[in-house]
Amino acid sequence: MFPLIAENLVVEFNGKHILGPLDLTVNKGDISLILGPNGSGKTTLLKSLHGIMKLKRGSIKWSCSDNSSMKKQMFVFQTPIMLRRSVFENLTYPLLLRKVSNSKAHRLATEWVEKIGLKEIMHISATRLSGGEKQKLALARALITEPEMLFLDEPSASLDGKTTVEIENLLKSCTKNGTTIMMSTHDIGQAKRLAKNILFLNKGILESNQLTETFFLEPTSPNAQKFITGEIVE
Amino acid sequence: MMRFFKQICAPIFILIATTANADNIKLAVTTSFNNSGLSDVLLPKIKSDIGLNIKLLVVGTGQALRLGAAGDVDAILVHSKKAEEQFVTDGYGLHRREIMYNDFVIIGPKHDPAIVRNSKSVREALTLISQTPASFVSRGDDSGTHKMEVGLWKYSGLDPDKFGKWYKSVGSGMGASLNVSASMGAYILSDRASWLNFKNKSDLEILFEGDKLLFNQYSFIPINPSLHTHVKYQLVEKLENWLTSTTAKSMINGYEIDGQALFTFNAEPE
Repeated sequence: MFPLIAENLVVEFNGKHILGPLDLTVNKGDISLILGPNGSGKTTLLKSLHGIMKLKRGSIKWSCSDNSSMKKQMFVFQTPIMLRRSVFENLTYPLLLRKVSNSKAHRLATEWVEKIGLKEIMHISATRLSGGEKQKLALARALITEPEMLFLDEPSASLDGKTTVEIENLLKSCTKNGTTIMMSTHDIGQAKRLAKNILFLNKGILESNQLTETFFLEPTSPNAQKFITGEIVE
Repeated sequence: MMRFFKQICAPIFILIATTANADNIKLAVTTSFNNSGLSDVLLPKIKSDIGLNIKLLVVGTGQALRLGAAGDVDAILVHSKKAEEQFVTDGYGLHRREIMYNDFVIIGPKHDPAIVRNSKSVREALTLISQTPASFVSRGDDSGTHKMEVGLWKYSGLDPDKFGKWYKSVGSGMGASLNVSASMGAYILSDRASWLNFKNKSDLEILFEGDKLLFNQYSFIPINPSLHTHVKYQLVEKLENWLTSTTAKSMINGYEIDGQALFTFNAEPE
C-alpha cells in the first residue's frame, strides 16, 4: 500500500484556490501531524489524500490499486459520525462490511467496547453518547478494522484532558500494530507528544515538513516559528 | 386498472434492468423525480454515456436520507434543503450539489370551494383552505414535499397537528396521493412535474402557483465512503460529473410534458 505519493496536488472549491501545489510522500508507520492556522488547508489535505475531495490538478498514488487503497484506510472526523445503531453495532458494522464472521465481529467488538470504557452502555443508541464518548467510539470503529492508514481531523478539538489522553493512548497503541497516521491538530503539545514528523500548512501551501524535534528547534518556515511561539500568522 | 394499480402502489422500489458486466450503483430518489418521468429519460442516456446502471430506490426524501445514513445506497437525489444540510453536517453525506429545480403548485377541484384561485400568496391560499369544509390531502410520508407542505402551513400560522378530519394524511408517494385527491375532490400540494405527468387528473386543476416560497430545489449527495466503505464513490463521482454536465443541462431543460418544461438545470460548475 505504501508509500503514498502526492504530486503537484491542487484543490479548488467554487473557483477559489484552497490547497497546493503540494508534493508529499507518506511512508509506512509515519505519524504525521499537520499544524497550521485556521483555513490553512489542513482538512482539505486530509480529505484529498483520503480520496473524498476532488483534485483540480495533480495525483495521489498508492502503491496498490485505488480500489483496494480505499478499503485499507479510515477517516475520523472532527465531529464524530454515529450510525443510528447501538454502541456495539457501531463497532460490528465495519467488520461485517468486510465479511468478517459474525462470531469474530462480536468478539472484537466486545474487546473494543471494554477498551474504550463503554461496556456498561454498549446496548444504548450511539446517538445518546456524550461528545467524548462519541469520539472514542468513532476512533474505535476505525481501529477495529486494523487500517493501514488512518486520517484524523482534529479528533480531540473539543474534548476534555482525560478523554484526549485516552484518545492519544489509543493512537499510540495502534501505531505499534503498524498503522500509519496522519492527523490535523491545533494543539502544539499534542504534536510534541505524538508526532514523528510535522507538516506546517499556511494558506494552502506546505511551508515545512520536518521531524518533530527539528521542527520545534529549528523550524524552516518563519510562519511556523511564529505559530510555535503563539504569534498570529497572517 | 394496471395504471391505477401502479399509481396506488407507489412509492415502491423500481428496479432498472441491469447487466452483469456494467457498473451498478444504487441511488435513492424522491417519488417526484420518478413520477415526473425524467428518470426514464435520463437513465438510458447515463448508461450509454458512462456505462452506469442505476438502480433507483424511489422513496420520500426522509426515507432517502435514512437509507443514505444507513449506507444502503451509494448516493441520494432529494429536495429538502434544511434536512440535506443537516445530513452533510452529520457526516453521512460528502457534500450537497444543487442540480435542478422545479416548483410546487396547489391543486384542487375546478369548482374551488375555498376560492384559492385568486389568492395573492400561498399563505392566503392555505388560510382559505383551512377556513372552509374542503378537504386537503397531505403526503404524510416525511418526504420533501411533505416537509415543504408542513413548513408552508406553519409559515401561514397554522399547525397541521391540530387540524380536523378535513386534513387527510395518507402516508403515500406523490402519484398515490394525487389519486386520493382526485377521488375525493380534495386540495393537495404537488410538485409541478409530478402533476403534469399525472394521468388521472379527473376534476382537478392547478389553482395556485407562482409564489417564490414554492421553489423546489433538487440536490445530489454522495454517501460518505469513509463511514460506509462499501459505497461506490468513484462511480458516484462519475454520475455527479454527468448530472452537472452540459449534456444533462440540455436534457433536463428540454424535458417537457404538454409543451411545458418541468425542470430548470442550475448546477454550478466546479
